[in-house]
Amino acid sequence: MRQFIVLRILYSIVTLLILSLTIFAIVRLTGDPALLMAEPGARPEDLARVRHQWGLDRPWPVQYLSFMQNVFSGELGKSFNYRLPVSELYFQRLPNSLQLALAASVISLLVGIPAGIISAVRVNSLWDNLGKIIALLGLSIPGFWLGLVLILVFSVWLRWLPTSGTGDWRHLIMPAVALGWYFSASMLRLTRSSMLEVMRSEYIKLARLKGLPETVVIAMHAFKNALIPVFTLAGVNLVVMVNAAVIIEVIFAWPGIGRLLYEGIFQRDFPLVQGVVVMAGFMIIGVNLLVDVLYAFIDPRIRLTR
Amino acid sequence: MPTIAMSKTAPAMPLAGRLKHAMTALREAPLLAVLILAGLIAVAVFAEVIAPHDPTLPVPGAKFFAPPFWMDGGSLNTPLGTDFQARDVLSRLIFGARVSLLVGLMGTLVAGGLGTALGILAGYLGAWVDQVVMRFTDAWLALPSLVFAIFLATMLGPSMWNIVIILGLVYWTRYARVIRGEVLSLREREFVKLAEIAGASKWRVIMRHILPNVMNTAMVLASLTVGVVIIAEASLSFLGVGVPPPQPAWGLMLSEARPTLMAGQWWLTVFPGVCIALIVLATQLFGDWLRVRLDPQLRNL
Amino acid sequence: MRSPMHRLLISALIVALVGGSVAVAAAGAAADPAKIVPKGKMTLAWHVGIATRWLDPQEHDGTATPDNFITAIHDALIKNQGTMLYDYPALAERFEFAPDATSATFWLRQGVKFHNGEPVTPEDVKFTYENYRGAKADVLKEQTERIEIIDDRTIRFVFKGPFLDFPLIFGTANVSGAAWIVPAKYYQKVGPDGFKQKPIGAGPYKLVRQEPGTKLELEAFEGYYRPVHVKQFTIVSVPEGATRVAMLERDEADIIYLVPGELIGRVKGDAKLMLAPVLSGSWWLEFPGFQNPKNPFHDKRVREAVSYAIDRRAMNEAEAAGLGKVSGNWINNDVQYAIDWPEFERDLGRAKQLMSEAGYANGFNVDWLTPAPAYYSRGERIIAQLQDIGIRAKLQVMERGVFLQRQQGGLREWPGLQMILNGARIGGSWANWYEAHFKCGGFNSKDRYCVQELDAKFEQYEKSIDPDERKQLAEEVQRGILENYYLVPVFRHAFVNAIGPRIAAERWQDIFQTITTGYAYPWEDIKLRDKARK
Repeated sequence: MRQFIVLRILYSIVTLLILSLTIFAIVRLTGDPALLMAEPGARPEDLARVRHQWGLDRPWPVQYLSFMQNVFSGELGKSFNYRLPVSELYFQRLPNSLQLALAASVISLLVGIPAGIISAVRVNSLWDNLGKIIALLGLSIPGFWLGLVLILVFSVWLRWLPTSGTGDWRHLIMPAVALGWYFSASMLRLTRSSMLEVMRSEYIKLARLKGLPETVVIAMHAFKNALIPVFTLAGVNLVVMVNAAVIIEVIFAWPGIGRLLYEGIFQRDFPLVQGVVVMAGFMIIGVNLLVDVLYAFIDPRIRLTR
Repeated sequence: MPTIAMSKTAPAMPLAGRLKHAMTALREAPLLAVLILAGLIAVAVFAEVIAPHDPTLPVPGAKFFAPPFWMDGGSLNTPLGTDFQARDVLSRLIFGARVSLLVGLMGTLVAGGLGTALGILAGYLGAWVDQVVMRFTDAWLALPSLVFAIFLATMLGPSMWNIVIILGLVYWTRYARVIRGEVLSLREREFVKLAEIAGASKWRVIMRHILPNVMNTAMVLASLTVGVVIIAEASLSFLGVGVPPPQPAWGLMLSEARPTLMAGQWWLTVFPGVCIALIVLATQLFGDWLRVRLDPQLRNL
Repeated sequence: MRSPMHRLLISALIVALVGGSVAVAAAGAAADPAKIVPKGKMTLAWHVGIATRWLDPQEHDGTATPDNFITAIHDALIKNQGTMLYDYPALAERFEFAPDATSATFWLRQGVKFHNGEPVTPEDVKFTYENYRGAKADVLKEQTERIEIIDDRTIRFVFKGPFLDFPLIFGTANVSGAAWIVPAKYYQKVGPDGFKQKPIGAGPYKLVRQEPGTKLELEAFEGYYRPVHVKQFTIVSVPEGATRVAMLERDEADIIYLVPGELIGRVKGDAKLMLAPVLSGSWWLEFPGFQNPKNPFHDKRVREAVSYAIDRRAMNEAEAAGLGKVSGNWINNDVQYAIDWPEFERDLGRAKQLMSEAGYANGFNVDWLTPAPAYYSRGERIIAQLQDIGIRAKLQVMERGVFLQRQQGGLREWPGLQMILNGARIGGSWANWYEAHFKCGGFNSKDRYCVQELDAKFEQYEKSIDPDERKQLAEEVQRGILENYYLVPVFRHAFVNAIGPRIAAERWQDIFQTITTGYAYPWEDIKLRDKARK
């Protein structure tokens, strides 16, 4: 078991390195940030000065080393645009993104799991089809559209909720719904198929043979086992949401990491983009590692595969 | 209803047999999905014939923001209304089918092709090839996909084909992992081992035995990815790096018409939205059906 | 027992004392203009992200954007405010520009302080100028011989020669930041990066809290020499236009910038809200490489045809709900020496005639028409309009970063036959426009135009020290461009903002007082209503 964990950690480190190299190269291929940082009247000397100031005129391997240094020091470099260490910017915005992602995850689970269970228990019935429709809506309605409609209905027409920004739960609910909506579809489908499979399993057949009432069978046995993959997916989705909620953040003026990254790309803010992507990668790879280890605990067979 | 059984010992069906099987199978496919898909494909192919106006130019004489014909101020000349450039919405929807389908299907093809290839290589060749590909896949997955898409768009410049490539490059990872898993188990099957013992080259084994058998999984994945790719196109348009105007694409139409949600010109968002929903519905139904037919084991896709 | 005389005297004394103190108090109150106590809260919904460097006037990036922020937190010796283009006396209660333009002297106002209580001194002014690294820093430094501190309130800038453009460059907030005074000791202590996190200035508002990129919370500075009316001022970044409008309708924002074109009607129709269509940047068509005889645009008739073919009014209607201005010149009329030019006619027949005269009766293909970033719909409209005379162009979508890079690259970055729909807002003087967008070697125009005779005149203008001669040359150059259609002006668009019901205003110009900008400064003048407008 220990060997397994060690190996997995090694893999994760290699993956992170590859990630850092990739983002480093990609970011520099998008062009010259000096133009965007200097004023419109800048002459080549001014641009050269700006480049020198930020170390952009050094050869790439040197820049990469300096970037890695920054990563290990925890500072992740200094943003061109904000003049702050990237880590500071990141951790300032992380709570906002986490809050949103958690709320969205909860909503996706609250919608997806019950709907999935009902669909599975009443396979191919009206309820199942209803579930399919809900899933369809989740997958085919883009988040930005839903977000704007929510603002229109609940803020402007009904005046129940504030339009945007952070604050109390009222500020959180619309962006969370707009974000979680899409994921509830996959939660629903996964719950449904997971339940279906569990319910067909030997274990359940035995419980039924024992004469236990159907509800108990579902509640006690099927439910628990079916939900393992669902929560795993929810965990992975959470991390995805933290990093990919940029559209929702723009619509609702939510100060999250997605927006930070998006604006950073257009500003050609190299250190910011690199730093945030590395952090994001760290989180995702970390979660994957955890999931792998968890599964290995649960299912010994997995440990034996490399 | 005959299903394609994946037994542990029987060899995979030769290609000709597969095709025949596919034809009979198609006849039993969900009617709704096939109708929608066929309809959309027909519309896309015959766009020039069907569409009443040029989708990129203002309709001469038409008003800006004209509503659909059944409303006050609408006209049959522009039956579904006009947009902020006085372009005909119906024509844009029709040509948009072409763009959205192309982006969706081609993007899925690129993603599927790349992902399947890498998955097979990783799964079959094993050892260090597997390690490298898997680490690379993990790293790629960790890259926020939308961000990566924006990067590529700023580097390559926006154009429909670039978007196809971008989306393909973003979504291949899904295939790689799943296909690799498939291949890992396929490798142990007797018919594969037999072929190897018989001296078939690695390439031959892959092409004749591995590839046909992962096609099922790949196809199911593909049907589920098309919808995602089309929505991704809408997201990219929102962020300003999608299919460039004035080309009509449903996602772009939705994004451009965002302010009109509040301004009351509902036809500019509802119609493209319905179209997107239709294609996602069709591909989902198709994919579900495929999955059930081909292999009930593919539950986690 | 006091005599009646005595009693009279004492009464008179008391009256005198009381009367005197009342008079003194009244005089005191009069001398201290209406001591306004700032109260209430207002919110500005800003339309893009907030760059931290905009809080530091020392690194003014030369665009017409930082002024929105530096006018809140900082103050300048002289600035553009209201209808004054550059010489509104702010921290300086007066200034003198030598008749031979070789020096400028400023007298600091009594009692002006920074937010940390320190007084604004000539040392701070000297430090600000010498340490300035932003736009036009090189121009200012090259021309300045020395800075003399004459006494504890007076400072003089002595130039190497006549520096006619000094007041314009110095005093226009969207041209340079050298006049915006920063506290020397504090700036040196925290360094440029620390300063951007916690800026301290002499302006009407001090920064209380900053969420980098998304929100600024400001509070009225009670030591400001002018009355500040609103106590709490929040600037929040809301990139989505529809959301900004929703915020305005819900009283979550009091002023919003950039109402999307489609929603102008909605805001107009709401009696509680007020539209503020501020005239902003101008838009024009460029023909890169038209000097090349093989280029169809080499022929003046073709360029003229383009001008006759485009429908400027329709563009204005569609893009700015008619709130822009279809004027003749490509240079805004709020800068020095900009000339007025009559509106260009639209005459499709004439345009087609000109095209056939030039030999293009069937038109020709243009490889790309590139609109300045993000305003693609304008490019699309032009393309549609040009189709009418046979010019067939394709829209080229280009992200801002790439556009800037290509502009810098010069003609070789624009291969084939191309057109550019460019837009800009440049402050100060007409010369800044010319220098940026037309001059050979100009930082945007590079080598794309290079009209020798006009450039020669421009050089003459720069060398000249006679205001009359300068004005004359300015007119000649602008004429030259317009009469020859080297650039084809399209329209001046409106930066359409909106004001909410809580702000006290009779007309939108009460809030958007400053004609040289699209932003709502001076901030201290904005008042809240006692009761919201119904």
